[in-house]
Amino acid sequence: MLEHIEAALRRPNFIAFVVLFLWGLFIMVTHPNLVKKLIGMYLVQTSVIFLLVTLSAKKGATVPILQGTDAIQSVTHEIDPAMYANPLPQVLTLTAIVVQVATLGVSLALVTASYRKYGSLDEDEILKRIE
Amino acid sequence: MSYHLPVIIFLIPFLTAICMPVVVGKRLHWCRPMALAAVFAMCVAAVVNLWIVLDHGETRYAFGGWDISTSLPAPPIGIEWVNDGLASIMLVVLSFLASVCLIYGGPLLPQSLGRRVVLYYTLILILISGLTGIVFAGDIFNIFVFLEVAALSSYALVAVSGGRALVAAFRYLMLGTLGASFYLLGVVFLYAVTGTLNMADLAQQLMDKPELLTSKAVIAGSTFMFIGLGIKMALFPLHGWLPDAYTRAPDAISPILAALMTKVALYAWIRIMFWVLGARAEMGQVHLLTLLGVLGAVAAVVGALLALSQQDVKRMFAYGGISHIGLILIGVSQGNQTGFAGGMFYLINDAVMQASAFFIAGAAVYQHGARTVDEWASLRGSPWMTGALIILAMSMIGIPPTGGFFGKWYIILGAIEAGNYLAVGAVVVATLLTMAYFQRLFISIFRDLQTSSSTVRVETHRSLRVSVGVTSVAIIVLGLCSDPIIKLFRDTAESLGLMQE
Repeated sequence: MLEHIEAALRRPNFIAFVVLFLWGLFIMVTHPNLVKKLIGMYLVQTSVIFLLVTLSAKKGATVPILQGTDAIQSVTHEIDPAMYANPLPQVLTLTAIVVQVATLGVSLALVTASYRKYGSLDEDEILKRIE
Repeated sequence: MSYHLPVIIFLIPFLTAICMPVVVGKRLHWCRPMALAAVFAMCVAAVVNLWIVLDHGETRYAFGGWDISTSLPAPPIGIEWVNDGLASIMLVVLSFLASVCLIYGGPLLPQSLGRRVVLYYTLILILISGLTGIVFAGDIFNIFVFLEVAALSSYALVAVSGGRALVAAFRYLMLGTLGASFYLLGVVFLYAVTGTLNMADLAQQLMDKPELLTSKAVIAGSTFMFIGLGIKMALFPLHGWLPDAYTRAPDAISPILAALMTKVALYAWIRIMFWVLGARAEMGQVHLLTLLGVLGAVAAVVGALLALSQQDVKRMFAYGGISHIGLILIGVSQGNQTGFAGGMFYLINDAVMQASAFFIAGAAVYQHGARTVDEWASLRGSPWMTGALIILAMSMIGIPPTGGFFGKWYIILGAIEAGNYLAVGAVVVATLLTMAYFQRLFISIFRDLQTSSSTVRVETHRSLRVSVGVTSVAIIVLGLCSDPIIKLFRDTAESLGLMQE
């Protein structure tokens, strides 16, 4: 048990991720208000992207373009990968954010449409008016 | 030219979708011919692609020329598409069903759409191109992106007619996005462990380092991916969004969603399960395939039970679809060639059968306003629909000349080969329950046939007749030509290292 806690404390980003993810899930499940549900959904998505970013973070790394002596000697010279940030996770993050924004757009359109139709943002209220 | 064929197939619906609002402008009657031309072109290209793949073997397409590597055979750094036998046959089914669904959708479009009909066709073409992307993708992140492209357009399509569909679409969106987040989380885990997203490269790394496969990160990652795709494919405990979304969706939309969305998500999971994790993967102490077999058996029986208890026919067929997902999972999880081939063959059949089922249900609403089982009595006025329903019932229950029979036959044979009698029992029980719910429909239609003379004969609309006829013929043709398709799947299974006993 103790070593599990110790291992978790050594990775604070995982703790932050778990808290954010479960918090978002909780809001999604419990709140009757549609907009609040969306906020929960946004939290869930953001927490996953957050995990991706923290996993790929490097201290003191720079843009992935060969610099200084590396640029000249890249053929013969051994390049230290710790010097350069990995571009792939960042590209993944960007793509995931684009997907997230598109989802948010569609969901806000749906919420607006159901507000215009039923005059309420409360899920129970809407279900009552449908009956 | 043939090397670029997969991308061309993807670009046909995608470019048409983007150009449509610009080209059509105020001439709304151009939309349908344009969309139909695009999907027909896609059909032809898909058939040519299948023929080329069968002739020359699989090809891999590396985007942006990123396959230049000094140490062969290294996977490309960029995105890779895999064009093998399985993908190309799925693509033929996909483009065929897409075109039939578009033919069918014309007269059933909600009148309230008005000028927005352009957007409807744009969305449906984007949905088709998203599904094409999933079928070809050889990269787990690429699957995520295309899943979301397809899912976003299907949320919008479900909600297109407004009213009660809005709530169903919102719920679908919530759960679908949750599923996508789970899937992405799984991708992040696998990426963190292996540093690659390419499916072939992942499989290679897992094979080289067997300790990786039992590491917590890979187990957690693949579990999250499975939960995510499980929501998308509406596997039994995660199916909550499906019945409402398919029942409330406009009648023009539900066939294409029912036929393709869940099936393609299941296809994506089969790709990951067999092509990345390998058939011998274990989750903790449990064999992964055993676990899936049990989940499939539960889904098959419970889905059919729930279908039996429904009054609304569209909802009944929706639950039937959930039960079929279970049947396919039973087939592919037996760990032998026969079961795998049967499962994949049933997947193709199920796509065609679900399309046909929702065609008939939609036509019943359109012509007779019949939604519930009791109201379906009026369906006896349209012989075309009743005939198609009989063929559909034969295939769903599994009576010989139809495709459904051969799918179930090989699934059961595979289960017997594996000595898995629980799975055999589940398939048989699901079949009996399927028979029972079709019985309810037929009792409703044929009861008091002599006494009641009040039935009105309604002339079926031509495009409804064509689409229902084509799918009924396809069900029988799939049954008659089951041999070569099963053989193709057997070869695929053999290349995956599945046993033949």
